[in-house]
Amino acid sequence: MRSSRSFYRLKVFFVLPALLLYGIFTLYPFLSSLLYSFTNWDGLQSPDYVGLANYQALFHDKAIVQAAKNTLYVLAVMVLIGNPLSLILALLLNLPLRSRGLLRTLFFLPALMSLMVISISWGFILQYDGLLNAILTLFGFENGIQDWLGTMDYALPAVILILLWQGTGFGAVIYLAGLQSVPRELQESAQIDGATGLQRIYHITIPLIMPFITINTFLGIAGSLKLFDVPFVLTNGGPGTATTTLGLLIYKYAFVHESYGYATAAGMLFMVLIAVVTFLQLSITRRREVEM
Amino acid sequence: MRKIRLSLGIAELVMLLAACLFLVPFLNVLLASFKPSSEVFDALHFPSSWEFAHYGAILGEGRFAQSLFNTVVITSLSLGLVVLFTSMAGYAIGRSGRGLFQIVFFILISGMIIPLQSTIIPIFKLATAISLINTRTLMILLYTAGAIPFATIIYTGFVKGIPSEMEEAAAMEGCGKTRTFFTIIFPLLLPATGTVIVTNVFTIWNDFFGPLIYLYSPGKQTLMTLIYQFKQERTTDWGPIFALSVIATIPLILLFFFVQDKFLKGLTAGAVKG
Repeated sequence: MRSSRSFYRLKVFFVLPALLLYGIFTLYPFLSSLLYSFTNWDGLQSPDYVGLANYQALFHDKAIVQAAKNTLYVLAVMVLIGNPLSLILALLLNLPLRSRGLLRTLFFLPALMSLMVISISWGFILQYDGLLNAILTLFGFENGIQDWLGTMDYALPAVILILLWQGTGFGAVIYLAGLQSVPRELQESAQIDGATGLQRIYHITIPLIMPFITINTFLGIAGSLKLFDVPFVLTNGGPGTATTTLGLLIYKYAFVHESYGYATAAGMLFMVLIAVVTFLQLSITRRREVEM
Repeated sequence: MRKIRLSLGIAELVMLLAACLFLVPFLNVLLASFKPSSEVFDALHFPSSWEFAHYGAILGEGRFAQSLFNTVVITSLSLGLVVLFTSMAGYAIGRSGRGLFQIVFFILISGMIIPLQSTIIPIFKLATAISLINTRTLMILLYTAGAIPFATIIYTGFVKGIPSEMEEAAAMEGCGKTRTFFTIIFPLLLPATGTVIVTNVFTIWNDFFGPLIYLYSPGKQTLMTLIYQFKQERTTDWGPIFALSVIATIPLILLFFFVQDKFLKGLTAGAVKG
């Protein structure tokens, strides 16, 4: 019945709309980018074929190395600090509190604020005559005053702080979904056997919500690697190259320096990097998932 | 028992306080939108008098209604198309073994790793060639295409969790397969639909770069490009910008508050069977 020819035809018909739309607006543009990466196109005049020259030049590009360092720094913080923070927040939001729904919405709020609004409100806090410095002055810490987004040492940490603020609630909501799928009986029987709260989290909860750890880690890694918009709007990659990520650098190569062929070549290598890292992560965390 | 209830009460209080601290960046914008223009940039103090003038300025602004309409139309039609197309595709893939449909699945989710920057110019050229540039239709198609990868993962995982006896029973009754999908299976996918909507609605509603690049006529602007324009026009008078930012965020807060439970259920199924 399932393998009947008419059902097969129906299934083909069912995947066509998504496949068509995706093919036209994602795959086709992507593949034409791939072709441009072998040319010296500037986005305006007709492109000339230059073979692997763009790719060779990339390996001697110091700006790429700096941007890669910034990107990996963001990635490390988001995965090693942001992800556990989300889990802790989810465990707290999963307590039988009266205002659960409200609390969830409040902590999720940064995830649904637009980049425009975030850049306005955080600019307000971090600029030199902003809220943070006003509070520092109020409590007599004048020495701690900084132009938070305008100093080499603090700009990237400030951007990461904003990303953590934005992402923690979102990650927590995904973990909450996982926590609600953990059967209550397991927790209760472990409690009767005398397991403490922390032991229960470590031996029961964490193994059972592994699929959600996979999802969150994946979204965290893919999001950090592709990061572009927050530094673009808040600092435009500055001061100097302090907050220039790989995604932002590629954007600048294409639209500021108008070396489109070179930018797409960088984009291709960048994509290979994303693919390798996320594939490694998925194969590692998938293996640790347990069957219910 | 009483001890537990007391410690929960304290936990609740601590969480609410933490949430308030967490929300300072949003409260900033909210408070500033009610301040007289002279106090808007003084973040440390509450408004000396609560004013609605900035909201009045927004509602009296001719471009506001148009951009709200554009945003609502683009967002809802994009979500509608994503839900329709990816639920159909997810059903076909979830009801197939290895082979052709597995390949289709990998093609559809490959977009998770494609960096957006590398497709901007080809899309611009393509849209110009098929005369879709500067149309709301283009935005709808782009958002739909962009949402396909993750939504396909969610729906495929969810379909695998639904026993196929349903369809077999419907076939016995003489119900056609297409009708079976739309009348029996699709309603069962509701939690997954909730997840797909929640994971995309904010991205689409809040998107700023898309309309900035692909829509350049004044009548086509969205709420986000309107905020951006305000910033360009009013370098000193920021009150209305804050008011507009609040207005643009409130529908999303309400939406999340009311669908969060469904959203959580959909994620559970999708992640476990995905």
